[in-house]
Parts: sequence; structure tokens; C-alpha cells
Amino acid sequence: MAASSLAKSYRNRSAIDFIKTTSKRKEDEMIEDELRTHLSKELSFQVPPMDPQVFLKSINERENGVKIQFLHGTTTLAFKFKNGVIVAADSRASMGSYIGSQTVKKVIEINPYLLGTMAGGAADCSFWERVLAERCRVYELRNKERISVAAASKLLANMVYYYKGMGLSMGTMICGWDKRGPGLYYVDSDGTRMTNYMFSVGSGSTYAYGILDSGFKHDLEDEEAYDLARRAIFHATHRDAYSGGSVNLYHVKETGWVKISRDDVGPLYYQYKDAQ
Amino acid sequence: MSERYSFSLTTFSPSGKLVQIEYALAAVAAGSPSIGIKVANGAVLATEKKYKSQLYDENSTHKVARITDKIGMVYSGMGPDYRVLLRKARKLAQEYQMKYQDSIPTSQLVEKVASVMQEYTQSGGVRPFGVSLLMAGTGDEGPYLYQCDPSGAFFAWKATALGKNHVNGKTFLEKRYNEEMELEDAIHTAILTLKESFDGQMTEDNIEIGVVNSSGFNRLSPSEVKDYLATI
Amino acid sequence: MTGKNCVAIAADRRFGIQAQTIGHEFQRIYGMSDHLYIGFSGLATDVTTVSNKLKFRLNMYMLRENREMKPETFMSLVSSLLYEKRFGPYFVEPVIAGLDKNAKPFVGSLDLIGCPMITEDFVVSGTASEQLYGMCESLWEPDLEADDLFESISQALLNAVDRDCVSGWGGIVYVIEKDKVTEKILKARMD
Repeated sequence: MAASSLAKSYRNRSAIDFIKTTSKRKEDEMIEDELRTHLSKELSFQVPPMDPQVFLKSINERENGVKIQFLHGTTTLAFKFKNGVIVAADSRASMGSYIGSQTVKKVIEINPYLLGTMAGGAADCSFWERVLAERCRVYELRNKERISVAAASKLLANMVYYYKGMGLSMGTMICGWDKRGPGLYYVDSDGTRMTNYMFSVGSGSTYAYGILDSGFKHDLEDEEAYDLARRAIFHATHRDAYSGGSVNLYHVKETGWVKISRDDVGPLYYQYKDAQ
Repeated sequence: MSERYSFSLTTFSPSGKLVQIEYALAAVAAGSPSIGIKVANGAVLATEKKYKSQLYDENSTHKVARITDKIGMVYSGMGPDYRVLLRKARKLAQEYQMKYQDSIPTSQLVEKVASVMQEYTQSGGVRPFGVSLLMAGTGDEGPYLYQCDPSGAFFAWKATALGKNHVNGKTFLEKRYNEEMELEDAIHTAILTLKESFDGQMTEDNIEIGVVNSSGFNRLSPSEVKDYLATI
Repeated sequence: MTGKNCVAIAADRRFGIQAQTIGHEFQRIYGMSDHLYIGFSGLATDVTTVSNKLKFRLNMYMLRENREMKPETFMSLVSSLLYEKRFGPYFVEPVIAGLDKNAKPFVGSLDLIGCPMITEDFVVSGTASEQLYGMCESLWEPDLEADDLFESISQALLNAVDRDCVSGWGGIVYVIEKDKVTEKILKARMD
């Protein structure tokens, strides 16, 4: 269990190693236990035979270097209101200034009650949220009840924190509905985890915040909330070069999430323009 | 009285003349004659090139000179001044070529050279050029013949004469010139015009001829000149 | 892009600072004379400066020589202007499209210090140049009539900028023929 220090260790690392601190909370103890019993064998990564940070730098900053990061430009948002949580995102994947795809699903369906959003590295986001999905399912089987949004987000935060400094890149919002009502947490690869009624993440987030702040109220009707979120993402795609494609919109209700719509930004601009 | 105004070339005389320029023109009028004729398919420049001694090697210097592939010139007046202008003209033409990757039109070159000549009538520490130039060239617009004076004035001609006996030369040309002339006729006419005032025997070594046709400007070799002289 | 007795030039309309889109009505194509157009990719301030300087030099030439400038000559003029700033260049990559007096099409492009390139088919420049090469390579064919040329260049532009984050937000096309120039604004995705 006692892993040698990061820079010196050349052997395979097990994902279980990341539980470094002893938490007093019961929920955390259960999480630890789960990870130990189920995942020690399956989750392990090849670590390069050198300091991972130096290695990452060398492959990212080489001349004509292979860009292993993409999806750096993104706009995602989520906010809580009286009828639950609204989650929306654009769908552009960029590699430098090249548009790799206009149809990326940046809202990840973790399970019928949980949604995650994707900003930063696409592989990191989709991989770790898939791991999170598995953890949540195991939790559910062992405890005969669904995991809370708080716990789920903390699982993710702990996982990525273990790899801090090794080049993981993700900024995500974990959204769901549990005993405490609608839940919304922001988690990123620095290890930040926080909760609030509204978040927007990605290069277009400032533009989205502009629209959200000017139109947000807690007692918005469903349709009003959808329109606000759609407009916010649309506006970000318009102003931010690295966001675009379509707007994917989800609503998390007490009964789980519902996909509301997917709108191509192309016609949306002229739709809004005509409505003016 | 006129001496009062003749030292500074930038000072007008009371009658409104710049006498230094007048003197420059006098130097031109005293110079050996040159002829220019333009016709539909080209132009010709001709000049007398007499040496004071038969010991000169006649082919060491030339009066008719090429500026670009398509433009050439000749002068009446002072030889050394002409060399300065020739060098400047060639440089101006190459600057144009460098900037536009296109050969300079005759009119443009004439204008630029005329500007140089004008500058020498208004600058300190210099004197006007003691030459008038005849520049002949071809281009998209067809053949052209220009005259350029020490004052910086320039004109386009169908045919003209400069230097000694230029008045007689022009009278002769007025009689002989017509619009239907061919280039070969023009060469003959040019030689005949020179001959009008020529002292002594005209040979391939004491005249020079430059011809502009569709392929550009060329100075005739002495043997070519000899052939033309034989037909007269 | 060249056509049969016609030539076309097109550009996007985005004005932005890095990722931020400031405006989408930016003019980067300038009519220099009746049959001579120039478009610039690059730094907006230099686009305006260079186009003004060129217009000045071209007007002076036309006044001085009392004739139109040939497209080839204009390209040399642009080249000399750019090379004058060899060690502190204008950040522009111009594209020139024009017809000569026999309505023969001309297209050419230059790099930022004035190295000229003349082609028979098409030239491209800017952040989406790779995408544009791909589109032009497949859509261009010899001797296109004006209408077909418009279609080809428009589709090439629109589809190329849709694969580039920092281009787009509308397009503009000029089709230059002997006796008329057609300007059309292209409706495009605004993301």
C-alpha cells in the first residue's frame, strides 16, 4: 500500500493507492472499502519510466508535438431551479484551431439519476466519469440505495486528486437528484470540489454566465429555464471561437434526468435573429 | 546688366528668363547634329560622330545608347553631361523594373529623366545639363520619340533635329516626312537629313544610327550603316 | 479561383481577438480598380494599413501613367511594399484576383514578406488554408462559367471555415467578369 514517491516509482500504480487520507465519515469509509475490494486489480495505469510531469511536458511541447489534449474549448453550464437542475453544453471538439467534431456529447449520462459534464480533456472526462458510474453502481448494490450527488462527486474528486500534477485535465459538473433534492457539484482536475446553484465551465463560460445572470430566477418555469440555458450556450458558441456545434439540453427531475433537446446552432442564430 | 543675373542659375532676369538655361540651349545648338524620326512600325535615331583627329579609335565610344531593351537615346551637346544622364536613365529604368517586374514605358522614363534635368536648374551648386536628348522607345502603346531639354521640358515628336543646323534639319524633315513612311524609309530620311549639313565624306565610322522596331532598340553596327550608306 | 473569362475571390467576415469574436461584418477584400481585387488574411490593423497604402500607390501609378495596372504588375507592387518591411513585417497574407484587359483571369498570393506565387487554378490563405486547399482541390475545375465559379468558391469557403474555429461568421464573394462585378454576402453558421 505504501507507494514510493511519485518521481521515483517506476512500477504500475494501482488506482487504490489514491486513498491517502483517513476520513472519519462513514460514507467515506464505505467508499474506501469498496475501492479496495473491487478495483485494485482492474484499474492500473502504465506510468512512464520517468517523472510523469516531465514526460507530459516533453510530448506536449515538442515541435509539431502530438496534441494529446483536445476539447480545450468548450461551454457547459448547469443551474438549479425550483424544478430541478438544468444541464446544457455545446458539442464542438477542437484540436488547436481545427474543428475535430461538431457532434460531441459533452453531457455524460452516468446513470439515470446522475449527469456529468465534459470540459478539458475528452478522454479524461469520459474515462473518469465511466469509472464513477461503476463506483456508483457498486455503491447502489451494496447499500440498496442510490449514492448521493455529494458522495458521487467526492468519489470523482478523490480519484482525480490522486493524479494531481500528472496532466489530467477536466472540469466537470456532477448533477443529480437525491434525498436532499437537486444536487450540483463542480469538480476539476486540480482537486477542486464545490457546490452552488449555478456553474458554467469552459472557454465560453464567461459568455454563458452573462446570459444566465441576466435571466436567472429560482422560480423559473421549465420552458423558461430551457430557453435560458439554450440561449446561454448559443451565445457562448457565437462569441467563443472554440465552442459550437449544437446545444444539448438536459433536465434533472426527481424521477431522474430527461433529455430535452438538441439544437444545431447554425439555424438557431437566424431563429433568434428573426424573433428580435 | 545681364551679367548680374547670369551667375546664379536660380535667379530670374528682369525679362523672366533664366539665362543659364539659355546658355545650355546654346551649347546644345552648337553641338553636333542628331535626328529622330518616328513611323508607324518603329523609330530611328541618327547622329553625326566626328572626331577632331583621325587618330581616335572611332568605335571606343558611342553616342547612341541603349537604356532598356526597348528604349534608346542620343544627344546633341556635351558628351560628359550625357554620360551622367545615361547612367541615371538606366538606373531609373531598372528601379521601375525592380518595383513592378515590368518594363518602363517610354513616356515614364522620359518624364523621370526630364525631372532630373529640371532638378539641375533649381538646385544649388550645380549647373544645367549642356545636352538635349532624343529618346526613342517602344512598348504596349507603340513607338514613341521624345526630346528632352536642359530646362526639363520634353516633347513627343514625329520627327525632329537637334544641334548644329537643326533649323535646316527640321525644314528638311517637314518636307520629307509623311504618315505612311516605313521604318526603312525613316532610316534613309535620317541619313539624308544628316547629309544636308555634313562636311566631308559620310562613312560608317562618323555617323551612328539606332533603330526601334517591334523587337526593341538596337544600335546598327558599322557594317549595317555601311550598307545603308551604299543605297543612298 | 479562376474561371472562363472570370475570376472570383471570397473571404469570411469574422473579426476577432484570439478566441473572442468581436464582430462579423469585417471587410477583408478590397476592390483596387474595376477588375482588380485583393483580400488579406491576418492582423486586422495591418489589413487596413496595407490596403490603404496599396490603394495609394495604385492610384499614383494610374495617374502617373494614365493606364490601368496589370494584375501581374499589381502583384509586384504588393511584393515590393511588403518586402520594404522585411525585418518588421505587416502580418498579412494577401490574395489577389483580377482580370487583365483581355479578360484573362489572374490569381496569386503572397506571404507576409512579399514572396509571390501565381497559379492557374486557385490560391488560399489564412487559418483555414489547409481546409480551403482540400475544398478547392475537389471543387475547382477548368473553365468554370461565372455562376458555377460562384457556387464552387462559396461552397469551398463555407465548408472550409466550418472546420476552423477562428474563421467564419458569414462570408463574402466577388465574381469579377469583363463588364460586371457581382458581390454576394453568404449566410453561414455563426459559431
